[in-house]
Amino acid sequence: MIDSVINDILTLLGFQFFQYALIGGIISALATSWIGLFLILRHESMISDGIAHTAFGGIALGLLLGINPLITALVVSIIAVLGISYMRKKELAKSDAAIAVMLSLGFSTGLIIISIAGGFNVEIFSYLFGSILTIDNIDLFIVSFLGLASICFFGIFYKELLSITFDEESAKVTGIPVRYFTFTFNLLVAFTIALSIKVIGVILVVALMVLPGLAALQLKRSFRGTMIMTVCFSILSIVIGIFFSAVYNIATSGVIVFFAAGIFLITAVYHKIRYNV
Amino acid sequence: MEKKPVLEFSHVDVMRSKDLVIQDATFTINQGDYVGVVGPNGGGKTTLLLAIFNFLPIKNGSIHLFSKTIQAFSEWDRIAYIPQGAIHFDTHFPLTVSELVSLGRITHANIGKPLKKTDWDAVNVSLNLMGIGDIAHKRIGSLSGGQKQRMFIAKALVRNPEILILDEPVAGIDATGLENFYKLLSDLNLKKNLTILIVSHDLSSVFCRMTKILCVNKNVYMSDITKEIDPNVALKKVYGEHFHFVFHEHECKGDFHHD
Repeated sequence: MIDSVINDILTLLGFQFFQYALIGGIISALATSWIGLFLILRHESMISDGIAHTAFGGIALGLLLGINPLITALVVSIIAVLGISYMRKKELAKSDAAIAVMLSLGFSTGLIIISIAGGFNVEIFSYLFGSILTIDNIDLFIVSFLGLASICFFGIFYKELLSITFDEESAKVTGIPVRYFTFTFNLLVAFTIALSIKVIGVILVVALMVLPGLAALQLKRSFRGTMIMTVCFSILSIVIGIFFSAVYNIATSGVIVFFAAGIFLITAVYHKIRYNV
Repeated sequence: MEKKPVLEFSHVDVMRSKDLVIQDATFTINQGDYVGVVGPNGGGKTTLLLAIFNFLPIKNGSIHLFSKTIQAFSEWDRIAYIPQGAIHFDTHFPLTVSELVSLGRITHANIGKPLKKTDWDAVNVSLNLMGIGDIAHKRIGSLSGGQKQRMFIAKALVRNPEILILDEPVAGIDATGLENFYKLLSDLNLKKNLTILIVSHDLSSVFCRMTKILCVNKNVYMSDITKEIDPNVALKKVYGEHFHFVFHEHECKGDFHHD
């Protein structure tokens, strides 16, 4: 049994589609893990769910116009992030209500476009639930570009982002241009969600963003330790998810989220036993 | 010896959401002053502090930091700030004490650059100065109230500032904790000649320990506590004529500025 699974895995590793899936998945894991952890710490986890659902409108638009749906999803995600920020800044709506407005607007636009176009069920299905195993070289290029941009930004500015997340007012006083950093962070949230759609789909993006970070937080480590564990949990979930789904022909996004949730449950039990809460 | 002015307000009006919150503020704070900022809630104390950092529009007048207008001032690492309710942070936030204190080393000059060994050395010096070097690797959420106070002062001091500004950082702390906190600040003021501005509602501590009092309620009045005989002269201007504060100097504990 084990020999046969190992043989299957080795065979899969020889296929280009599988190599693409692994590369895309790992880049996506690296990008989503840091953004997700910061969203949790900023108490803004649900923004990822809201933007992903809004991006559905962009995907439908891309399919209708014959443009790569990841690009139209990215554009719509950026508009959604800016819209949410604007509504919050102008006090038109609180964070959760602003997310609800953009989510419903984007999703309903998607439904209207689909009904006008009269279908494209198969394509839409792959973006709703992800299809990392069918990633082509153009999609891989887009995912890699967005992911690496996000990872580089974090690598260079992590201490400033941490300072802003912990205490915005103090960060301003230390000379950090908080407004520019917040704007760029929001753009990267849109980038990361757009690239995650190919991996995990619109519906489950929030799980990939939140579960690894939440699991790492249960371990009560330093920020550095929490970040490393978040990345490890995210990569582990995606890689195991891709292998399992390829070997057993199960929906990839489902397996990824199942493993991420499993890791969270294990760490939650550890937290309960270790800290007696 | 003549003390150097480090902060000067000259006929300053400060706006906040189209309202005039501070009117015609004129005062000078010199190097080594220990200033208590007092006044009723909503009187403009926090607004006054935010104006120092150039965060709010000034309608009239000018503010000078180290003899430069705040618009031209760029050496913000000379000033450290502990915001309102700093110790009431999210206790689940994944930071160790040394990681938090290291954030105080961020300046405009090192944005986008990793902290150097000298920065981490400064973190250790600051932690040891506050007597919390032994808890450097503890999570910030697991600290006692007193340790949290010391940690935030360590974060402020790690910049080697010349002015320390605190906005009610001890709200919710018990009387003993409060006394220890003010004692710690007095020591820093005396030993390091650190200029301190602190928003406080604890008038006894202000009159016991500080050299100047800044009374704020739209208008701003500064009194030199070491010279003013009756503290009520300044306080009545902002709290109203009915206000009367009975100050018993013999109840002050510890070291004082009155030397």
